[in-house]
Amino acid sequence: MSQHGSHRLVVDYGNDLRLFPSWLSRTAIAVLGVLWILLPMQIGDFQLSVLNRAGIFAIGALGLNLLTGYAGQVSLGHAFFMAVGAYSWAHFGGEQNLPLLVWLPAAGLIGGLVGALIGPFALRLRGNYLAIVSLGLVFIGIHIWNNFESVTGGFDGVGGSRAARIGPLDFTALTIGGTKYSIEQAYFWLIWVIVALAALATKNVVRSRPGRALQAIRDRDVAAAVIGVSLTRYKVSAFAVSSAMAAMCGALFGSYYGYISPDQWNLLLSIQFIAIIIVGGVGTVFGAIVGALFIAGAPLMIEQYSSSIPLVSYLTKQADMTVATLNQLLFGLVIILFLILEPRGLAGLWFRLKTYFKAWPFSY
Amino acid sequence: MKRTTSVVAVLLALALVGAACGRDKKAADAPGFDGKTIKLGVLEGVSGPIADPIGKPLSAGGDAYWARVNAAGGVAGKYKVELVKEDTAYNNEQTKAKYTKIKNDVVMFSQILGTPPTKTVLVDLKTDGIAASPASLDAAWVREPNLFPVGSTYQLQFINAASWLVNDEGFKTKPICQMAIESEYGNAGIEGLTTAAKELGFTVAATARFKGTADEEYTAQVAALQKAKCAAVFLTALPSNTGRIIGAAAQKGLTPRWIGQSPTWVSALAASPTLAPLLQKTFYWTSEGTTWGDTSVKGMKELIADVAKYAPTQKPDVYFVFGYSQAKGVHAVLEQAAKNNDFSRAGILKAISEVSVDYEGLLGKYTYGSAANRSPSRETVIFKVNPAVPGALEKVKAVTSDVASKLKIG
Repeated sequence: MSQHGSHRLVVDYGNDLRLFPSWLSRTAIAVLGVLWILLPMQIGDFQLSVLNRAGIFAIGALGLNLLTGYAGQVSLGHAFFMAVGAYSWAHFGGEQNLPLLVWLPAAGLIGGLVGALIGPFALRLRGNYLAIVSLGLVFIGIHIWNNFESVTGGFDGVGGSRAARIGPLDFTALTIGGTKYSIEQAYFWLIWVIVALAALATKNVVRSRPGRALQAIRDRDVAAAVIGVSLTRYKVSAFAVSSAMAAMCGALFGSYYGYISPDQWNLLLSIQFIAIIIVGGVGTVFGAIVGALFIAGAPLMIEQYSSSIPLVSYLTKQADMTVATLNQLLFGLVIILFLILEPRGLAGLWFRLKTYFKAWPFSY
Repeated sequence: MKRTTSVVAVLLALALVGAACGRDKKAADAPGFDGKTIKLGVLEGVSGPIADPIGKPLSAGGDAYWARVNAAGGVAGKYKVELVKEDTAYNNEQTKAKYTKIKNDVVMFSQILGTPPTKTVLVDLKTDGIAASPASLDAAWVREPNLFPVGSTYQLQFINAASWLVNDEGFKTKPICQMAIESEYGNAGIEGLTTAAKELGFTVAATARFKGTADEEYTAQVAALQKAKCAAVFLTALPSNTGRIIGAAAQKGLTPRWIGQSPTWVSALAASPTLAPLLQKTFYWTSEGTTWGDTSVKGMKELIADVAKYAPTQKPDVYFVFGYSQAKGVHAVLEQAAKNNDFSRAGILKAISEVSVDYEGLLGKYTYGSAANRSPSRETVIFKVNPAVPGALEKVKAVTSDVASKLKIG
C-alpha cells in the first residue's frame, strides 16, 4: 500500500487490506454520502447535468482503469463496449420498456460476454499492439452499428423510453413524499450510487487475490506466470470485467440521453477514457472518478464561466476562437502536462499533498 | 454494526434538513418571461463541422430578424425579445448539456440546428413540455407537438425535383441515380427519391453512399455512378462535400445533371473559378422561396432592408434567409401567445397549434394546426447557378407535383 506514498505504519496484511484504513478515509466517505444526498437540492440542473455526465464516464473509467491501470493492458476499444451497453439499453429499456434492474445487468452481462469472446484474441498481444488491435474494434463497431438496423436504428439512431425505473421509483419523474424532483436530480442520485457500487467492486477486486495477480502481470508477465498466475485466465477476466463496466456505463449513457446514434461511438470517445485515467491517476480507484469529474466537467465549466476566466476570455476575443475550440486545445495540453509533470495524475497530487502534511514539519 | 446504524441515522437526519431548504424557489409560471422581456433559447452551431457554411449565417439571420422586431417595440409592440445563445458544435452531448443549462430561462427554443441534436433533446422537450423550432427539414418533425417545424421536407424536395426531371426535362428513360451521405439526413434524401421512383415508375439506377469526412476520396462512388451511366444524380450532402464530389466526378469525366438537396449549397461554391463553370452547367438546387435580392417578393424586400440596417456586412446567403424566416415563424407563435396572454410552456404549445404564419414568399405555405393536422408546403423551387447574380442562384421553376401533393406524411 505504500506504492502511493502513503506512509502509514502497516503492521499486518489484514490492516493493509482494509477498505477504509484510517479515520480520515472513513470521514471522507461519510462526507461524500451526505453530499450525495444534499447536493441535488443545493445546486442547479446545469451543474447536476455536468456531474451526471461525469458520473456516467466514471463508471466506464473505473473499468478501463482495472484493465489498463492494474493489468497493464492498454485498450482503445472502450467506445465499442460502451456502445454494446448503450444498445442493450435501447433494446431492453428503450424499446421494451423493461425496468432498470433488467437492462442494466443485461448490459453488463452482454458487455462482459462480448469482452470474454474478444479477450482471448486481443490479449495474445500486449502493449502497443493491443492498443492498435482494440482500435480496430471501434471501427468494426461503427460499421456494425450503422448496419444492424433492427437494434441500432442505423444512421437514424435509436431512442425510446428512458426506462429508469426501480420498483416504484421512476427516475424520470421522481416524487418522494409529495415533492417532485427534476430529472437531473433523480439521475444524480441514481448515477452516483452506481458509481459508488462500481468503485466498491473495483476496490474489492484490486485488494484481493485477482487484483494482486493483475498487478503482478502488469509489472512483469513472465515473472507472474512463473509464480503460478494463469495469464490467460486473469487477462481475459480483466478484459471481461472492464467491458462489462464499459457496457453499464453505455447503458446509463443511453438512458440518460434518451437517444443514441452510431457516430457517437468513435475513437475520440475511447481516447477520452484514456485521458480520464491519465489525468485522474492510473492504477487508483479514486483517480478514475476524479479524472472523470475533471475531463467530463471542466470543458462545460470553462464554457459556462468563460467570460470571467481571464485568459480564456482574452483568447476567445483576440484569437477569434470559440470556447469549444479552446477547450479542445486545453484537453490536449492537460494530457501532455500530466504525462510529463505528474504521471500519477490528480490522485498522485493528492497523495503528495497528504504525505507532505503527514510528515510535517519534516516534509522535505 | 452499531457505527453503521448511527451513520445512517445521521445521514437521514441531514437529508431531512436538506429537503427542508430546497434549492428552487417555486418555478415561475412562465419561465423565460418576466412580464417585460421574452427570452428565447438558441442552440446554434457556431463551432464544429458545419459552423462556417451553415451555423453562423443561420444565427445571423435570426439575429437580424429579432433586431427588427425589437426596433418595432417587440412582440405585440411591448415585449422585447432577448436571445439566450448556446453553441452545440453540432454535437449530441453538447446539445443536451446546453439544453439543460438554459431550459429554465427561456420561453421556448427558437432554433436547434440539425437533425441529430434535435433528436437528442426531443425526449427532454416532451418531458419538460417545452417547444422548439428545429433548423432541419426532416419529415419526422411534422407530427411532433413539441416541435414547430419551419420549411418543407427533404423528401418533398426530391419528389418534386424528380417529377420535374421526368415530366418536363425528358429524363423518363434516362438512368437516374443517387448519392447520399451516411446519416439520417442522407436517409431522408433516399426516402424521397425512392418514393418518387415508385410513384413515377422509374428505377433508381445506382445509389452511392459516402461518409462525408474531410479527407474522403470519392473514387468508388464515382465509379459506381459511372458504371450505371447516370444522366442525373440526386445529391444529399453538406456544403463541405458538394464541391469535392462534383469536382471528383468531373475529373473522371462524369458530368451528369446534379440535383442538390437544400443543405448542399453555399454561395461560396460559386466563387471558385474552377468549380463555378461546372456548377453553372450541371448543378440544380432544390429549396423554397426566392433568390437573394428579389424585391418583387415582400418578405425578401424586408429582408434586404433589414440586412442593410442590422447586418450590413452580410453576404447573400441561403442559410441567413432560412434563419430569418425561421425567426419570422417563431415570431408569429409569440404573437399568438401574446394574444392568448399566456407565455407559459403550455401556452406556447397551444399557440403553436393555433398559429398561422405568412412567410411572405421567403418559404412556401406551411399549414399549421395540431400536430396531426399539420401540412408542410408541397412546393419546391428549382434553382440553378449563375455566378453573375447576388447569391449566385437564379430561379428555374416552382414545382408542386401530383406525387408531392398527395404524399401522406407521418
